[in-house]
Amino acid sequence: MASPIEDDVFEKLKNKTDPEAHKRNQDELNARAYAQHNKAQERLAELLDDNSTLPVTVSSVRILNANRTRRGFLERVVNPILSANQEEGYTLQDCLSEVGKATEKLNRFGIFKQPINVFLDRPDPTLASSSPSDIDVYIHATERGNYTIKTGTEAGASEADAYIHAELRNLFGGAETLNAHGSLGTRTRSAYSLAFDTPILSNPDFKFQVNGFASSTLKSWASHEEVLRGGTSKLLWRSARGHQHEFGYSGIWRQVTGLAENASPTIRADAGDSFKSSLTHTWINDKRDYPMLPSKGYLMKTISELAGYGPLSGDVSFFKSEAESQVTLPFGDTGITLTAGLRGGLLYPLAQRGSTTPQQSRINDRFQLGGPTSVRGFRLSGLGPHDGPDAVGGDVYAAGGAALLFPVPRVGKETPLRLQAFINGGRLLSLKNPSKEGAPLDSAAVKDSVKKAVNSLTDGAPSTAAGFGIVYAHPIARFEINFSLPLVIRAREEARKGLSFGVGVEFL
Amino acid sequence: MTTENSDTASDATPRTSPSHRSQQQQSRSSIFSVPTPIKQLFDRFPLLSYPANELPIRAPRNRNAHVLHVFATEQGAREGRPSWNPGCLRYQAYLKFCGVDFQLQASNNHASPTGALPFLIPATPTTTAGDGAEGGLVASRKAQPQPEVVPSSKLQKWGTQHSSHKSSDGSDGSEEKGIQEPEDIRYEAYLSLVDLRIRRAWLYTLYLSPANTATLLEPLYILPTSTNPFVRLSTLYSLRQAAQAELLKHAAVINADDILREADEAFAALEMLLGGDQWFFGASKPGMFDACVFAYTGLLLDGGLGGVADRGRERNEKEDGWADGRLRDMVRAKKGLVEHRERVLRGYF
Repeated sequence: MASPIEDDVFEKLKNKTDPEAHKRNQDELNARAYAQHNKAQERLAELLDDNSTLPVTVSSVRILNANRTRRGFLERVVNPILSANQEEGYTLQDCLSEVGKATEKLNRFGIFKQPINVFLDRPDPTLASSSPSDIDVYIHATERGNYTIKTGTEAGASEADAYIHAELRNLFGGAETLNAHGSLGTRTRSAYSLAFDTPILSNPDFKFQVNGFASSTLKSWASHEEVLRGGTSKLLWRSARGHQHEFGYSGIWRQVTGLAENASPTIRADAGDSFKSSLTHTWINDKRDYPMLPSKGYLMKTISELAGYGPLSGDVSFFKSEAESQVTLPFGDTGITLTAGLRGGLLYPLAQRGSTTPQQSRINDRFQLGGPTSVRGFRLSGLGPHDGPDAVGGDVYAAGGAALLFPVPRVGKETPLRLQAFINGGRLLSLKNPSKEGAPLDSAAVKDSVKKAVNSLTDGAPSTAAGFGIVYAHPIARFEINFSLPLVIRAREEARKGLSFGVGVEFL
Repeated sequence: MTTENSDTASDATPRTSPSHRSQQQQSRSSIFSVPTPIKQLFDRFPLLSYPANELPIRAPRNRNAHVLHVFATEQGAREGRPSWNPGCLRYQAYLKFCGVDFQLQASNNHASPTGALPFLIPATPTTTAGDGAEGGLVASRKAQPQPEVVPSSKLQKWGTQHSSHKSSDGSDGSEEKGIQEPEDIRYEAYLSLVDLRIRRAWLYTLYLSPANTATLLEPLYILPTSTNPFVRLSTLYSLRQAAQAELLKHAAVINADDILREADEAFAALEMLLGGDQWFFGASKPGMFDACVFAYTGLLLDGGLGGVADRGRERNEKEDGWADGRLRDMVRAKKGLVEHRERVLRGYF
């Protein structure tokens, strides 16, 4: 039997501390710490301010703990700090800003642990070689481990895979990285890659990459399996204003194989081997604040590829160009945003060296359109020409969409959860052969055909779908569940009435 | 990275309450059926439909013809020339014997449903595919009749069914149309001579005999796959491996002399079998067996094989693609077989 007194004790134990009081205490503590921190900052700023014009000479920079990193590599990063490399009137402020730049660079190589600490010290005045204005700079940069191995399994709506990923860091002491990746799955049957990545001239914004890979992907929308083996090498460069450029060469052996029982004649005609040798340029200017769920900003992206032309040889030759843009406008501070996107692409057939007949596009190279991350409300590759069960792709496309996103009521705009209403549509067309017999087209006919195809993008309303749904932006991917209905469609295009689920990084 | 899940509207209508479902369940078999008003609403979409998009230029247009996919050059296929692959030539010849009207399409093993050529895509029964005539319907995967591909194993039967002429001895009317294979007890035995001994010698001579690599194997099987040297090298390697594996199924070691000697014996036996007849087993018209023999003799005696003639060189019987000509010489020595081949070529190609 519990007496009232005992109950009281338990009550007391339960509410050992009044939550209010606890919170008050905590707040006080926080405030005190904050004030202290502020004061320290102020003092430091004052000190620096007083000494900002203090002339300094830096004769040595020491980087501590970076034992596995090459001296030459680090020298290029820290050289600007040394007075020998500075003009007259090198002050403490200049010195600190240079040090700041150098540590920021070191950070971006991704081979050091965060944070990188910096100490300034006066050298021993008794040393004959030291002058009164001398300071020594110590950069305390602890290296991260030299390898990481990750394994895991992923399961999605209609896809599951297991992967192993290994990364060797700072391979030759110059922030070189070697990545090895292997995965087995249901849709991407298998994928292996080995990539080597190195900064050029100790510049984290200027990189060189070589990559070799082999993969086998099930392309169920076109009844085949594509086996790829090849390599790419590219230069990556990021400008001061955040524009990214990639310039690369790739040589890929593609195999269209493992055709389904009911594969269409179009796919059967493209089955087999082809080697693509191409130069690619990619430009990205991403000014969105949070790419998965932007609240403001814009994205512009172009991809251009020249394959098989002239000395590039290979089995396919074309010029392919794609452009993508997205803009997000916020409605004040309400959390409501309007996102609009526009994409387009063109594949222009070219003649191979020693031939005058341009090569028409294959299933591997043609564009596909439709699906949860492209034009919503359509099946994967649901737009464009279809031969029987297969989406055979097209040579020209344009797609656009707009989505209005609202914060979920009572959840708030700070969470990465939104409701959306969208309308999107597009056209995907292939070039036409004016001759009924299918005689090969010469260059002039191809030019004419491309012009006609581009013009007929606007023949009739684009295939369109509209709907609404829920968006959740996870840091690694964005998830959407939408209900949609098709408004305009072409015969044989595959729309989806009802619910669809989408996972992806880039949405229209 | 995209995934797509749930199915059509029928199983994904959010407004379908459980009670609705149970009501519907009685009237329809599926638990996922949609209530009628919603279905009616759904059926009103899309609001606007246009005709279908045209297929890409490379898409085959000859949908209203039977198309036999074989190893051939583009040009050879257009002109209906004999395929350079015995397996393909056998059925090409057989379909011709049957009087089936078909077109050829240069292809490769990847295109085949069985992984090996030949195969045949029958003509689409309805209108030409890709004409975009049928508008006004939401496209579905079943909207378009897709002709069933005929693999090589079913080609003989298919050929007989689609034969244009009545069986030769169909005077009594009981015979079905098409070619009747002779009911000779030796038929299977002789067929195995071709399918095993001669085939093995062919595999050896074409794929493994080093002399023929540059003159035959490369121009026929390697160069058309790709212009890239690595791809070619890899293809060559895998072809050789496959041929070797096939030969090793029969013997522990690959002995060229044995293989060729057996083939010679087989040719001699065939010569004997043919005797003075026009066609094998004394038939009045060529049949499957003639096609099988012709598949090898026709190619072995083809002076232009490997593109010797195409390369503009003086076409000379002595200078054909067979740099290692042992197997060819065996056939040349069999007068009856040579004449048999001429008869097929003259009559059907």
